[in-house]
Amino acid sequence: MIEKTVPQTQEMFNNYGHLNGDNDILHYDDAFAQKNGFRGTLGHGLMYTAYVADLAAKKYGRDWHYCGELTVKFVAPVCPGDLLRVTLADNGKAECSSQFGTTLVGSAVLR
Amino acid sequence: MTRPSEVKPREGEQTAALFADWKIGSEFPELTFTITPDIVNEYMSVVNANPENYLVDGRQASPPNVVAVYMMAVMYRKYPPQQGGIMIGNTFSFHHPVWADETTEITGSGRLTDKYEKKGRKYICYTVEFHRTDGVKLTTIQHTSAFPE
Repeated sequence: MIEKTVPQTQEMFNNYGHLNGDNDILHYDDAFAQKNGFRGTLGHGLMYTAYVADLAAKKYGRDWHYCGELTVKFVAPVCPGDLLRVTLADNGKAECSSQFGTTLVGSAVLR
Repeated sequence: MTRPSEVKPREGEQTAALFADWKIGSEFPELTFTITPDIVNEYMSVVNANPENYLVDGRQASPPNVVAVYMMAVMYRKYPPQQGGIMIGNTFSFHHPVWADETTEITGSGRLTDKYEKKGRKYICYTVEFHRTDGVKLTTIQHTSAFPE
């Protein structure tokens, strides 16, 4: 298994949103997010997808670019202050988890 | 260089499409954009990517998922976004590297594949395909999101 841990901050959410143009206030407005039942602002799902993809690129190398298959499902939100652990098992099973539990499940395999 | 923010309709800036507006099978207008080394570098920075993981036969490639920052732009140009959308899941299929040391002209196209309601949430599913403008297929993404209205 390979893994990495990425502490989450609002600045990271802002920087990703600055690049992709995402203006959904769930990512930026803490009061709005809490009013909608979340612990705080939500990180961008595609940012976490990229964390898994980074491990997959490390695992599979060249083949990842030509026949990689990445599936992710977001099962719980990630908020500022979360310590996000990203893992990719030998069989391609992927997971992200924080101190609050599992946030993403999926797989990264070759076709 | 095309920054995603230049081509992605932003939440709250236009009248949003509602669940009733989305039509299964509808095609999204093609979106052509360029990914430059600067965009690749910024993407790698904001997703904590390690460049060493993306060497292909000694050449620096981008994370092939770099096109993800353009995915919603393709759909939102047909159906402007609501506030409060939540991403549910994605499947990426990668077919060819996006090189980090050159400018790549890419066309994104796609269509709405499904929509349904479940436990009070409104779900939409769509597919986006990214090709280089010379025809080389790069990435296909199958996406699901939930929206409040």
